Order: sequence, then structure tokens, then C-alpha cells
Amino acid sequence: MDTPISGSVYVAPSLSTALDALHEGGSAAAPFAGGTWIMRAPIRHEQLKSRYVAIGKIPELHTIKVDADAVEIGAAVTHAALATALAELGEFDVLTAAAGHSANPAIRTMATIGGNLATTAFAAADCVPALLCLDAEVEIASRDDRERTSLEQFLTMRSTLAPGRLLHRIIVPRRDRKTVHARLPLRRAGDYPTAIVSLAMILDDAGLVETARIAVGSVEPVARRWGRLETALIGHPLNAAKAAEAAAELADEFAGRDAADVPGWYRVRVLPGLVRRAVAALGS
Amino acid sequence: MGLSMTINGDHLTSTADPVTPLVDVLREDFHLTGAKPVCREGFCGACMVLIDGNPTPSCLIPAALAQGCDIRTVEGLAANGRLNPIQAALEACDAVQCGMCFPGMVVSLTHLLTTRPEATRDDIRAALTGNICRCTGYERIIEAALLALATP
Ligand SMILES: Cc1cc2nc3c(=O)[nH]c(=O)nc-3n(C[C@H](O)[C@H](O)[C@H](O)COP(=O)(O)OP(=O)(O)OC[C@H]3O[C@@H](n4cnc5c(N)ncnc54)[C@H](O)[C@@H]3O)c2cc1C
Ligand code: FES
Ligand code: FES
Repeated sequence: MDTPISGSVYVAPSLSTALDALHEGGSAAAPFAGGTWIMRAPIRHEQLKSRYVAIGKIPELHTIKVDADAVEIGAAVTHAALATALAELGEFDVLTAAAGHSANPAIRTMATIGGNLATTAFAAADCVPALLCLDAEVEIASRDDRERTSLEQFLTMRSTLAPGRLLHRIIVPRRDRKTVHARLPLRRAGDYPTAIVSLAMILDDAGLVETARIAVGSVEPVARRWGRLETALIGHPLNAAKAAEAAAELADEFAGRDAADVPGWYRVRVLPGLVRRAVAALGS
Repeated sequence: MGLSMTINGDHLTSTADPVTPLVDVLREDFHLTGAKPVCREGFCGACMVLIDGNPTPSCLIPAALAQGCDIRTVEGLAANGRLNPIQAALEACDAVQCGMCFPGMVVSLTHLLTTRPEATRDDIRAALTGNICRCTGYERIIEAALLALATP
């Protein structure tokens, strides 16, 4: 029996007890959300932490609040719950698809949005590019304070997040935009995406692109916005073939990551096709 | 201090480490060997059990978090020794090959049948994206699910 040995799992009933336990545990402790990444540590030849603070039963971390200006998502909301809650809000199609089509049905009822954003070593996370193109912000909580920062900034600091802190919620501004999530798994049945293009566009009255947000996931170790492609599309009508042409010209800025499933060059090679698919899905 | 769990209606205790995957506790401590640890990654579904009614890969649930839940394994799905509708349909359709994937298939499809009586072929395929059959017996498994759905 290949059993990981570890110390304890504390099931926190509230945010404050979780933050106290994380504070007291220091660097020996970590949040345990859906566990779909943590429980696979032995396969990655990684050590488990000696203390886990389970945050999945904290009601406050399960809420999704839809206001006129923003949607706030608790960090322990599962992929399945998120996809159901946002299904009727067209401006969030990108996030509904990211949460509703990742992994497989059982995993979607376990894996949380907070775990998806916080997992430093997981390049293929679907919700990261989806939330990048929606200009999401995150709130980090510790026993003594709350800190709000852009998701982009969080991605640069998540690996060194001080002990005792956790991702509390995600805040996504509401805008009249068209959005889409295009992902390419090797097989549709539950594989990781080899590359992801998440897109959010605002069109002006003449149907020209006024603002463009394009995020690329799974290609490099950390998802990021594709600024040069965004600039190339602004001021033009949505056109899938032209967008794919522009993407093909600019794709060499990506250094694809090699992994067991596909080599790095392949991830870059499929980007123009994913851009074409994404723009076409917006009705161009 | 032991871990106490409710499995197929029985109250059982284990002295396993709290982060031990539930599948290992089921098999090693309680000798419920239906759930199989095949990939230990959430990909194959061979270890699927129902936790509070939801299909859950038991390789990804630490034993400590299974406490207080209603856990049903494949061994608990044939009430009073009678096969449930999907088990009967799988047998009628001669769907079993090596049988490795079957406990997980039965668990996922038992859930589908009880929660989505109107499920289509596509819904069945989608529900089984986390259950891999290495013998590639999918067509007969789907036929069995359709038969069970159509049987009053
Ligand atoms: C078979 C399989 C296929 C998958 N396929 C995909 C896929 O296609 N796309 C995809 O996006 N995902 C996929 N995943 C899911 C992926 O594991 C999760 O999306 C996610 O990375 C982990 O979420 P979790 O809640 O399970 O986190 P956990 O495993 O609980 O935690 C992961 C890490 O995040 C930390 N953490 C968790 N919550 C917080 C928080 N609130 N604040 C700070 N740190 C926190 C933990 O300490 C740990 O370091 C797949 C998983 C499996 C098992
Ligand atoms: S062993 Fe659990 S999903 Fe494969
Ligand atoms: S019958 Fe052999 S793995 Fe499915």
C-alpha cells in the first residue's frame, strides 16, 4: 500500500478558525480544498505537508454573490457549482466553460476555484486564463488583514505566499462583453488541455473591437495575457481568419513547455487554430 | 484516536493515518475490495464510490474527510442481494470483460440512473468521462445504461 504519511487534517468550521490554524501551523501547514492536486503528491514524488487545514466546509468560502457591478466567488466554490451558478450569465461564458468542461464530472464536484488558482506547479489550469481575460482580482486573507490584488499579480506571488494566508475570494467585474474559452485536450474525455485561449471582447456600436483581452494557458508554465495580439485586433471587426493570421505572426513570442503529453512546440503551433476557433465562436 | 466512518450503513473504525486515501482504508482495513486503486490520480474511475450520494474517486479523498459522510461502495449497491437495475442491465448486455473498471462503472451509472432518468446516450457518455475501460467495452456499457433507463 503506497500510503502517504502525514500528521493531521483539521476540518475548519469557519474562516477565522482556518486562519488561526494556518497561522499557528506556519510553514508546516497548508489549506486543503478539493484535494485533487494535494492527494496526487506521491505520484509527483512530493512530500505532503504535516498539517492540513480543510477549508471545504466553511460556508463563507462557498458563496457566489452576483451584483450589478461584480461577481464575487468564494475560494472553495467547486468547478461544478461555479459552472451551474454562472450558466445564465452570457458575459461569463468563458468561465462557465472553463469550470464546466475541465477534468471529469466527479473531479468537478471536488476541485475548487481557489485550488485551481493557487496551484503554482499546475500550468494547465483552465480557470486561470479564463479569469485573466475577465480582469479578475483576488482577495487574500490572513488572521490580521485582507489584501486585494489583481489575479496577474497574484500569479507572480502565489508560490511565496506567506504562511497563514489563503485565497479568500475572487472578484470579477461585470461588463457587457462577449467571452469564450477554447481548449485543446488530446482526448475530450478528461485530459488536460495542451493549450488554452480565453478571450473577452467589447465591441463598439459599429461592431469594431473596442477592448480585447486574450489569455493563453497551458503553453508556458504560467498563463498570461497576449498583449500584442490584443493590440492587433483592436479597431477591427471580429474576423476569425484574420485573427488566426495575426496569431500565427505573433506566436513565436511563446516558449512552449515540454511535458510528457506533448512537446512545447506543439502547444505553440496550435495557438492560431485555437484563436480562430475562439473568435469564430463569438459569431464572426 | 481512530477514524470512524459509515460504509454501506455499517459504522466502522480505522486507525489509518488521516491523509490515507479512502480507497486504501476500504480495501486494507475493511476488506471491501470492489474499489480498485488503478491510477491513483482521479483519471480512471476504478476507485469510484458514492459519498453522500455523489460519485467520488476514493483515491483522492483522505480518510479523515470521509468521516461523517454516507459512503456507499459497489458492495453496498445490491440491496438484499438483488442486483440494482444497472447491474442487472450490465449482466443482461454481457458488458463485462476483464471487470477491472466495473465497480466504478456501476457506481457512476447507479448515480446517473437515480438522478437523471431522462439521460440520453450523450449524457451517458459525458457521465462516464471519468471512467476508463481498458478493454474498451464502452458500447455495451452504454447499451446497458440505455436498457436500464428504458426498463420501468
Ligand atoms: C483527473 C484530473 C483531471 C484534471 N483536469 C483538469 C483540467 O483539465 N483543468 C483544470 O483546470 N483542472 C484540472 N484538474 C483539477 C486540478 O487538480 C484542480 O483544478 C486544482 O488545481 C486543485 O484544486 P483543489 O481544490 O482540488 O485543490 P487542492 O488539491 O486542495 O490544493 C491545491 C493547492 O492549492 C492550495 N490551496 C487550495 N485552496 C487554497 C486557497 N483557498 N488559498 C491558498 N491556497 C490554496 C493547497 O494548499 C495546495 O497547495 C484535474 C484534476 C484531476 C484529478
Ligand atoms: S484510482 Fe482513483 S481514479 Fe483511478
Ligand atoms: S472490462 Fe476490462 S477495463 Fe473495463
